[in-house]
Amino acid sequence: MLKNRRQSVNRPPTPDLTDDRAKVPTLQEVINIKLIESGEKEQLMELVREKLTDCGWKDEMETIVRAYIKKQGRNNVTLDELVRVITPKGRASIPDSIKAELLQRIRTFLVSAAL
Amino acid sequence: NMFFVMLVIFPMSIVVCVQLALHVFGDLLDSIIVDVASECHRIARLGLERKLDEEEEELRLSAQARARIADPSNNVEANGKYVVDIFGQTHPPVANEIFDCMNCGRSIMAGRFAPHLEKCMGKGRKARLKATRSSTAAQNRYSRGSPVSTYSPYSSTASINRLSNGNPRVATGECSNGTVEEP
Repeated sequence: MLKNRRQSVNRPPTPDLTDDRAKVPTLQEVINIKLIESGEKEQLMELVREKLTDCGWKDEMETIVRAYIKKQGRNNVTLDELVRVITPKGRASIPDSIKAELLQRIRTFLVSAAL
Repeated sequence: NMFFVMLVIFPMSIVVCVQLALHVFGDLLDSIIVDVASECHRIARLGLERKLDEEEEELRLSAQARARIADPSNNVEANGKYVVDIFGQTHPPVANEIFDCMNCGRSIMAGRFAPHLEKCMGKGRKARLKATRSSTAAQNRYSRGSPVSTYSPYSSTASINRLSNGNPRVATGECSNGTVEEP
């Protein structure tokens, strides 16, 4: 089927059905599963969202995005594009206090997950 | 879980722990960035910025109005014409727009329209006399002297009319075929 419109979000390719060997999960994957299963990931997300909204980071990002959209034309932007536009600035402009607090909490979780 | 136990024991575990924590944090951040971009993208593609602007304007105006009420320098005592509402407007005690009555065609002041309509459409004795010629005779037969006439509820119990909510019973004047309406 021909697609006339640009894809707005990149989808990862569907995994090949023939490649069915049992894969050893990486440490990161294992941690991720533990985070999700314990509910900690959800809590962390809410915490970060709240903190980033309160300190104005979210508004700053939205301003950048809106300026970009205005420049490009609102029907001429893909989600991937927007993500790429704000990712570097977004990562760099996280207030140190928030980053430190979150990292501390994650490390605590990792230790408790290991025991 | 031996894996984890080993991690805790070896000093390198600290480095790994920090790296893992950074990775987790980065994941969280990426998700949040995608959320922010996604929301802006949706709003842009659906053209919702106008609605957002309108909503903001509404909020601003209502905050302004509220501030005006709270301001003690505004005269809020009922002073006839000089009561100021939250938008800073004054209104006369009797609505003074003029328009034409759709029943009789006369020019009526809005604040006087309800009483006019009562008379014009049916409760008053004079209104009933505005009957068509064919029903006048029947009407006169009933209304002369008889206390329990078909129409006496209208004149003797004014309370009934006050209860009627704008659909007053039509006077016989409206029945062009001359039939008498039972209450």
